[in-house]
Amino acid sequence: MRIDDFLWLSYKDLTEKKVRTTLTILMVMIGVASIVALVSLTEGISASVQTSLQTLGPTSIILSGSKGFTTTDVSRLSGLPNVSAVIPIIEGSGHLLANGQNTSVTVVGISTEGITELLDGVNMYEGSLYSDSISPTVVVGQSVAFPSSFDGRQNLQVGYPVTLYTGGHGSSQSVTVSVVGILDSYASLIVPIDSAVVMSLPAAGLLLHRSTYSTILVRASNTSTVNSVAQLITNIYGSSVSVVTTQQIAQTADKIIGSITTLLVIIAGISLLVAAIGIMNIMLISVYERTHDIGILKSIGFKNSHILLVFLMQSLIIGVAGGIAGIAAGVGSAYGLSYISSHVSSTGAAGAPGAGPTASYGRGPQAHGGATFVAAGGAGQAMASSSSSSISFQPVFTIETMAVALLVAVIVSAIAGVYPAWRASKLEPIDALRQL
Amino acid sequence: MAKANVANYSVQVKNLEKIYRSGDIKVRALEKVSFSLGEGDFAAIVGPSGSGKSTLMNILGTIDKPTAGEVYIDGVPTAKMNGNQLANFRNKKLGFVFQAYNLIVGLTAEANVELPLMMTSMSPHERRKKADSILSTLGLSDRLMLKPTQLSGGQQQRVAIARALVNDPTLILADEPTGNLDTHSGDEVIKLLREISRKRKVTIIMVTHNPDITKYCDMVIHIRDGRVEKMEKKGVVK
Repeated sequence: MRIDDFLWLSYKDLTEKKVRTTLTILMVMIGVASIVALVSLTEGISASVQTSLQTLGPTSIILSGSKGFTTTDVSRLSGLPNVSAVIPIIEGSGHLLANGQNTSVTVVGISTEGITELLDGVNMYEGSLYSDSISPTVVVGQSVAFPSSFDGRQNLQVGYPVTLYTGGHGSSQSVTVSVVGILDSYASLIVPIDSAVVMSLPAAGLLLHRSTYSTILVRASNTSTVNSVAQLITNIYGSSVSVVTTQQIAQTADKIIGSITTLLVIIAGISLLVAAIGIMNIMLISVYERTHDIGILKSIGFKNSHILLVFLMQSLIIGVAGGIAGIAAGVGSAYGLSYISSHVSSTGAAGAPGAGPTASYGRGPQAHGGATFVAAGGAGQAMASSSSSSISFQPVFTIETMAVALLVAVIVSAIAGVYPAWRASKLEPIDALRQL
Repeated sequence: MAKANVANYSVQVKNLEKIYRSGDIKVRALEKVSFSLGEGDFAAIVGPSGSGKSTLMNILGTIDKPTAGEVYIDGVPTAKMNGNQLANFRNKKLGFVFQAYNLIVGLTAEANVELPLMMTSMSPHERRKKADSILSTLGLSDRLMLKPTQLSGGQQQRVAIARALVNDPTLILADEPTGNLDTHSGDEVIKLLREISRKRKVTIIMVTHNPDITKYCDMVIHIRDGRVEKMEKKGVVK
């Protein structure tokens, strides 16, 4: 028999019972869609975290401590061997009022040289960088200039003064600052650049009432010296300062994302297992209903193997159709979910100033004027920063993911279809014909 | 060659026995049944219910095995063949016509007739041509694309006959082919079968309850209690 004859007979039989076939395909579709969506989403998150870490640079070491750092610390660190750069950062929370829009922001103080090093060259969306003097000139991140509470329209104009509040709503103090530039969008782990108002170190110190730096970013001369530099710094400061390298963060992030992916894929796999049971159930019913027809086919010369293939092909058609539909649905729902999650998290941050991203860092006891410190001290906290504010992610679809999802759907359907098809093929024509 | 032994016979049944066991009880369904039919013979098997007609037909159709004895069709003994050989044999040498037509309801008349040809090396185009030409000979040229439910009983039975005929079999087994039909359609079907046996030299064995239609047959085999009671050669009604 020709393969297209099998396909045709299987197809004919499937279209005889459209509702049942559609529902079975739907079961496979849901299983495949959940696998595709979940894998693409976690891959998207992983990619965006890795991109941020790339921005941070593989040679970065992040220092944070409850007591903060002084210029003495900076010069001491600069004097260490294999250190190519030391970037002190002041960070606090605040909110900004412009056009009646209240936007929650991170107030960041960093030297112009420092931000250039941190971002590996600064790209301005509009305007220019602030000066290193104490003058209240600032640049703002993308989501500050285009807040989601303002439907993503531009809320700030370069050259216009805006009012910046530091501290909580009750005891807040306001300062009028001049916006000189808007930054391009950056995914950055140490500092949530997109939601930041960035200014010089002295300006930030004055505004936030700080005499110390919250975080110091140290760059080692190359990747092979990172660990020895980090070890040296740990030896100097002991347990009073947390020292984390980008590589440690990357490894931890990979581990966390890896185990989340495994868990999600197992859950999606369960829905595919349910689909397999559904296929087997439907095919067994179909074989039962078709018993008489099987007898007819055998009487006109169909072999056992022919009958087996006609029924197995039906499961395969269901598997392929469900797999393709599932990939389409998975791609769609991954985009949908990433849109929803980014939308929800950004409005959440804007709606609750101070309780958003920076809240998770609020372990520093010295909250001058209600401001909290950034303490990117642990990988977990760095991650929290990435997912809650500064990193938006797009699902990542790879040919591998889709091919594997389709293959799994087909294999699962084939396995589910083998037993019913085998039962059909083993029917004796004399018994099969007797049943009407 | 085996064929030489059975000379002119297309069907030869020798000392056929069939014993069913149900528990400790043995039921002798067939006992020493022997007969021979030549090429193009049209034979009727008649007998009361439970006489063993269906058992005989099933064994002739190779879908049941005899306890003892042998059936030669076209000189080939069928009892020792395995599953795939039997499937192949049924496809090439046998055609079935059932009382309930037994068409695949999801397929058109044309597709139903095409089914046995799927086992051959014919191309889909050739298959369709052959199916169409046989259906046309049976007066169904305007019914090719209709499904069984859209056809009358007589038309459905003619489609079934076309399907039985399409692979040019040696033997057609017809199990009460007129049982579900009115007198007129039944008569048409019987005349058609007789014509096929005459013109195409196909041997036909038909089970029937209706003594009226045996007048078209060359031979009537009376069966009672699993034995051949009487073999009746008929003068052929023109």
